[in-house]
Amino acid sequence: MKTLTKALAAISLMTGMAAGTQGQTEPFKVGVCYDLSKAYTFATPQVAQAAQDLAKLINMKGGIGGEPVEVIVRDHGNEPQRGIECYSKLSREGVFVFDTLSTPVSLAVLPRAMEDENILMQSLVGRGDAVDGTVFDWVYPIGPTYWGQAANDVAYIKQLHDGDMSDVKVGFVYFDYPFGQEPIEILGTLSEKEGFELQLYPVPLPGSDQAGVWSKVRREKPDHVIVWMLGGAHVVASKEMKRNGIPMEKYISVNWLNEVDIANIGNEAAIGIKRGTNVVGGQDVALYQEIMTELYDKGQGSGPMEKTQDVFYNTGLAMYSIMFEAARRAAETDGLPITAKSYKAALETLEDYDANGLMAPITVTADDHGGGGKTRIEMWDGKAWVPQTDWIAEYTDVVWEVVKKSSSKYEQ
Amino acid sequence: MFYRLSGVHHANYVSDSRIFKVPADRNLAAFILLLGLAAPFIIPSLYLNSYMLPWLIWTAAALGLNLVTGWAGQLHLGYAAVMAVGAYSAIHAARFGVPWEFALIIGGLMSSVIGSLFAFAALRVKGLYLALTTLAMQFVMDWVLTHSPMISGGSHASLQSPTLALLGQDITSDTGYYYVAFGWCVLVTIFMLNLKRCGLGRALVAVREKDFAAAILGVNSFYYKILAFATSSFIAGVSGALLVATFFFLAAPEQFSVAVSIQVLAMVIVGGLGSIIGSYFGVALILLVPGLVNGLVVSISEGLGMQVNIETLAHIPNAVYGALIVVILLIEPLGLGKLYGNIRDYLMVWPFDQFKK
Repeated sequence: MKTLTKALAAISLMTGMAAGTQGQTEPFKVGVCYDLSKAYTFATPQVAQAAQDLAKLINMKGGIGGEPVEVIVRDHGNEPQRGIECYSKLSREGVFVFDTLSTPVSLAVLPRAMEDENILMQSLVGRGDAVDGTVFDWVYPIGPTYWGQAANDVAYIKQLHDGDMSDVKVGFVYFDYPFGQEPIEILGTLSEKEGFELQLYPVPLPGSDQAGVWSKVRREKPDHVIVWMLGGAHVVASKEMKRNGIPMEKYISVNWLNEVDIANIGNEAAIGIKRGTNVVGGQDVALYQEIMTELYDKGQGSGPMEKTQDVFYNTGLAMYSIMFEAARRAAETDGLPITAKSYKAALETLEDYDANGLMAPITVTADDHGGGGKTRIEMWDGKAWVPQTDWIAEYTDVVWEVVKKSSSKYEQ
Repeated sequence: MFYRLSGVHHANYVSDSRIFKVPADRNLAAFILLLGLAAPFIIPSLYLNSYMLPWLIWTAAALGLNLVTGWAGQLHLGYAAVMAVGAYSAIHAARFGVPWEFALIIGGLMSSVIGSLFAFAALRVKGLYLALTTLAMQFVMDWVLTHSPMISGGSHASLQSPTLALLGQDITSDTGYYYVAFGWCVLVTIFMLNLKRCGLGRALVAVREKDFAAAILGVNSFYYKILAFATSSFIAGVSGALLVATFFFLAAPEQFSVAVSIQVLAMVIVGGLGSIIGSYFGVALILLVPGLVNGLVVSISEGLGMQVNIETLAHIPNAVYGALIVVILLIEPLGLGKLYGNIRDYLMVWPFDQFKK
């Protein structure tokens, strides 16, 4: 009977007939409006699971400022309209920190977050120029932009060629829509600056047919191929590369390449493949180990174990470590309850924060909401990812030029 | 009892072609209109802003598609592309400094021109071939949007919409946005109600039923098809522009992708081809039910204290929603509008028809 009344109460609450009960002390809540059913499912379950695990861990240790934290995970199916619905609903329930992990939804929510002065975290998705804190006051795309990531890839290639790129050919294989097209401008600028030759290879969506692209790559022989694709498209690419006799070492992927893709390519076949990343992959991370001993060994994990053995789980841990660290600092300096203003101020105190060796150190300032955009290149050796560079953020002047040019259009 | 028919006689054509032949229908419509006007004062802002407003704008858009698909019988799979033309033209015009009233009309006209230009080519074929040609239009538009920064705006192809202002009044409040959407939806609904009972509407129906038979009767089917495309494109364009101006605040290609085209078509089909009230129901089902079911499933699982995996939780609503569509179409293939019609017919002379049995 009790469960029945509970369920009935929940239903009436849901239909808006009953007003939500307001607790006296509001816990710190993060609105996690994710696409758990459509296009982004290659990463969202892992990230959401990391968020839940991290919240559990923090609550086991007494929460933030003595209050438990809460992550509210909702599905928006990658539809802007449902993302807005999720945002509007949660913001009325007192949530002021949001993450969407979906570019279309992030774009749609952004104007509202700016208007309502709510914090929109949009690591790795959404418009890249939002790192410009002077224009986008309330948006924090902490982590690298695609522009910065591409620039770091070029810096790595330059390093491989001892600083002389005059006779280097760099291919750029990309999904032919805004996600993939974004780095083109910066690669063009850098190619003029460094004197390397840039070759563009657009891949039509959804990337399941790449035969033409890679035979063209074979004919034109670029020395390196920077790849802006997702999920299964990596597997297709690797097969085509093999068919065309292109060595895996040439492949430098955007950060969206995970262990599932490696398994699909084949552990052996994938040897030599490289990716840019802003988090440390693998299980040899202090925070990961702590979650294992505190939660998973006791059977209290928020999901299946195998989902944690994925770089996107670490990405999730990194994203939410930042969010909770900022909340902790806000509670410390301005006390409870945490407000959007105190939270924003706390975010901007983060300096060389790397969540105990989990990710590239970030420094968030009022001007730079991206945290510096450091990444590194890793190479798959058949068992693990081997770092090829330190955490680097190169050509920042060129990147910021593009950022400023783009962000100046927002206010018009 | 509910529909008093006594004293309702139609002695001439004018009386017989009224919009509401039964007073009860008219009263119901007036009541709903009043409810709609009073909505900002009785509905919490969350529901007004994230459910009612998109519902009304999408209903206006679905009515436009219903004109070409339900009335004129031409399958259209590129409707979102036409909406995109309107949205982008209107925003660019507004950014250029054109007052919003004219920007919206420019958006509508641009859609109309491009929509009917395409129809000129597409209407040389019929049926499924036409459907495929309109689908091609959608892909052309997708490609244009993702490949021309001039049109689609800067970073990640997103174009910020300037603040909506109508009749010299800046519109920034939830209530304001709602009334704009409400006004547009009412306007389109009145147009559609009248379309039913004028020569154009009858011509369209004739074309739908058999275009060469219509031609024999002196109805120029090609002309009327183009007219249907142009009119529905105009409605699509203004709806698309309003959708961005009052709801999204910025335009991005994903908002007008092929999936959206199919969604609008689903709204029209689930609602009922050629049914106005059905469009309202269809939009509610396709647009709002996924979110509502999602919330419901989450609340139930929380209320019962179940630890459900977040992914399972995300997929249950999709399954429920899919099943709902199948069940509705099984119960009444003519859609939700017909379902409403059945109930209305049953109650028309209730309880007196019971005596017959």
